[in-house]
Amino acid sequence: MLKIRGLKKKFKNFQALNGLDMEIEEGALYGFVGPNGAGKTTAIRIITGLLLPDEGTVEIGGKDALRYREEVKDDFGYVPDEFGMYDNLKVWEYMEFFASCYGYSGLVARERCTELLKQVKLDDRADAFVDSLSRGMKQRLCLARALIHDPKLLVLDEPTSGMDPRTRMEFKELLKELCAEGKTILVSSHILSELSQMCTDIGIIDAGKIVLSGNMTEILQKVNDSNPLLIKVYEHREAAIKMLRQDPAVKTIAIREDDIAVRFHGGHEAEADLLRKLVTAGIPVSGFIREQGDLESIFMQITNHDKGKVVLTSEE
Amino acid sequence: MKNNPVYKRERMVRARSFRIPLIIFAFNGILALAALLNMYQTVAQVRLSSTIQYGSFLQLYAFVATLEFLLLMFIMPALTSGSISGERERQTLELLFTTKMSPKDIILGKLFSAVEQLLVLVVSSLPVVLLTFVYGSVDFMDLCLLLVCFVTVAFFTGGIGILFSALIRKSTFSNVCTYGVLLLIVVGTYMLNIFMLNMNELQINNMIMQFGETRPVADTGFAVYLLLLNPVATFAEILGNQVSGGAGSLSISSFFGSDINGFLARYWIPISLLVQMAVSVMMIGGAVYALNPVKNEKK
Repeated sequence: MLKIRGLKKKFKNFQALNGLDMEIEEGALYGFVGPNGAGKTTAIRIITGLLLPDEGTVEIGGKDALRYREEVKDDFGYVPDEFGMYDNLKVWEYMEFFASCYGYSGLVARERCTELLKQVKLDDRADAFVDSLSRGMKQRLCLARALIHDPKLLVLDEPTSGMDPRTRMEFKELLKELCAEGKTILVSSHILSELSQMCTDIGIIDAGKIVLSGNMTEILQKVNDSNPLLIKVYEHREAAIKMLRQDPAVKTIAIREDDIAVRFHGGHEAEADLLRKLVTAGIPVSGFIREQGDLESIFMQITNHDKGKVVLTSEE
Repeated sequence: MKNNPVYKRERMVRARSFRIPLIIFAFNGILALAALLNMYQTVAQVRLSSTIQYGSFLQLYAFVATLEFLLLMFIMPALTSGSISGERERQTLELLFTTKMSPKDIILGKLFSAVEQLLVLVVSSLPVVLLTFVYGSVDFMDLCLLLVCFVTVAFFTGGIGILFSALIRKSTFSNVCTYGVLLLIVVGTYMLNIFMLNMNELQINNMIMQFGETRPVADTGFAVYLLLLNPVATFAEILGNQVSGGAGSLSISSFFGSDINGFLARYWIPISLLVQMAVSVMMIGGAVYALNPVKNEKK
């Protein structure tokens, strides 16, 4: 759906994008993550035609978005970090105004607006003035506005910043719904936990280029595999440690309160085999689990310019 | 234009506001009161002295025309100079750029809605202006010329406002620049011409003292061409031709010197109106160019 190759952009002495490559499959909910100043907004502004790159290509739905800027406007909807509201318009007027900006008018526009307002649960506020809406409502209205021309790709720049947890949760559900309907969604954020909960794919940008990208489950699996096994034994801890030391797949052993943290290089089968050995040796195992990896740790590793990258590369 | 979403939105918001009907009511109320008092005074004079002063109706015409001209010249920049920068400040401009709206649509939508807003005021006051027709001396063509001048000044001052609004991010600064440039055009060109005229007169007097030459009439040279950009000069010429005195005292005839019957002097009004319209089109074009989000960048 979206293909970016070798995108470069320099602002005076600052290299905002430095050969950004990115690809988003149709129907994906892609989390675009990076620290402040990594180049997320610059990339998004180029994708949406608000900025031209110094080098590189952007394709939306197979069309060159830099050359056919006007044509691709039908293919994407944009939700910026600032909502962009006309406070003196009513909710339905705001929607109809943007519908007319895409050439929709009359009954077609009205029906589309009603449908979208219903989808974002603002149909009961259609006659309210925009300035009377809460921040969460404004964000939902902004999302409905971006969907007015039924685009295939939705681009959202930090959409949940400044929202309370409940509104954030509702918004995430809305995005998941849209994704299930077949929309491709690119959502940038620096709040990693919320992206890990909803995205199907993720791209981590740092210093103007993607440093890690792929399917979320695979990435988390990769992180999980590099995490230690936490083994809890009811008694005979020393015997258990002695036995673990003899296993060639065990690299390091550490004691963490009641747990034995084992850096174990092996798949699920090897894990099961280790557990079986312990139980057969008469060691009462009360807990045996892989420590869950999270996106925060990957992000911290990758965007920590010295050691982070090395750790991840060696794991890969 | 009626299908331009920006124009339609501006109209809708304006129609909802109580401000415009109130301004129209107050403006026309004052004008109507002035006209009625004027008529009462004329009739009272007829009763007392059996003479009628038709000139007072012309003064009323000049008064209303001048008021409307000033209104257009000073309110149009206020309406337009914050129009684009206001969208930018509200963060809605970039949203418009991602839609099918072109910079031209946005600029024209904003400009025409502002022009329309003031022309409604002008048209609504036409009945008072047309009271002059009761006693004659100003005909229909005079009125048409005045309306052409109003439309021109609306686009000219609106063009300055919208150009700065597209160029400058902050509405306040855009406002200051617009009025600054307008002041430069209106007062600056007059001042320059007066200065040039005085200098030329001094030079001539000097020549007479030195060589005893026959006294030629002083003129302002090239500076007179700059007055083609000055809407006040055009309006003064139009009103000066229709009604003596008043704004006619700002007449530019003295700046031509011996060339008073030249082509430019004879066709000053249509030429200046054309020049101002052309400059307005250029300023609107400049605003459209300035608004293009990727204008200065190359792929």
